[in-house]
Amino acid sequence: MMDLLHWDGTLSAKDFRIGAVAFAQKWESLNFAFPPWVWVPCPKHPWLASPEEEGYLSMEKICISRLNEEDIDQTTQIDTDEEEASCSGNKDVIDDATLVQRNHHELHYYDFHIVYSNTFRVPVLYLRAYCSDGQPLQLDEIEKELPTCSSKELSKSKWTFITQEEHPHLKRPWYKLHPCGTGEWMKLLFLNDTAQPKFEVVLELYLLSWFSVVGQVVGLRIPFKMLNDR
Amino acid sequence: MAAESPSSVRKVVVHLRATGDAPILKQAKFKILGSDKFAKVIDFLRRQLHRDTLFVYVNSAFSPNPDELVIDLYNNFGFDGKLVVNYACSMAWG
Repeated sequence: MMDLLHWDGTLSAKDFRIGAVAFAQKWESLNFAFPPWVWVPCPKHPWLASPEEEGYLSMEKICISRLNEEDIDQTTQIDTDEEEASCSGNKDVIDDATLVQRNHHELHYYDFHIVYSNTFRVPVLYLRAYCSDGQPLQLDEIEKELPTCSSKELSKSKWTFITQEEHPHLKRPWYKLHPCGTGEWMKLLFLNDTAQPKFEVVLELYLLSWFSVVGQVVGLRIPFKMLNDR
Repeated sequence: MAAESPSSVRKVVVHLRATGDAPILKQAKFKILGSDKFAKVIDFLRRQLHRDTLFVYVNSAFSPNPDELVIDLYNNFGFDGKLVVNYACSMAWG
């Protein structure tokens, strides 16, 4: 049993998988503002039977739109059919608020992946954004929509910065929240947890605690009932 | 419990707790309106410590979103009549 005092705040790949599944289950049952995270397996050697399934968590096609000056952050997911129906065609699916906003802004979609970093031994958030026609958004456009993502805001928190890198599994350029320092603040989070959990519990809660920090950068909030469920 | 005034504007007692090698504040306890956002606590800390780079979190292994209301945080994570807010300063990063 790992002793928290001597823990460095990082996870093995196997523990990441355990933590990811626990996080996804909790999210699905308690977070109704968003669709569920899906585990996408990416076995390194698909021809070998591997007890440790490599993969990542994926939550995609999140529609983040800014309505007006009153600034209600609204996230909706547009259901897509097999052939990627464009948002503007789904008048019945979009509610009035988004219809009004559509006149002034193109709707943007976000894909979020939580990927394990073998180098840092921690989860890493990858994201990309695109228009309804699939045209990718550049970082400055993302920053307009997610001001917490801007280099100004990030430099305030100094915990992380965004770089464009090749997605480790998909081999395409994605934006990534740099993970260095993650182990240290994860350790702090649990060291000062009044419940003083055993490592098994830490594992169950790891991704949740991690996401409470990282989610802020992309404007995603964890509802209290998820945090209170322990 | 947090005092309830006749106008029923509820103040929350916040206790700021240094962790890691963060400097300890002389004045670590104060009251804040429950209707204020957590961002106010973060900004207060930044000014007091003259640092922008802070890691702020509560005792249940989570870092609150700055938009959360202090009263909500107190109701969910407060105990003993106060909300304990931990803070740590910049760590190795790069």
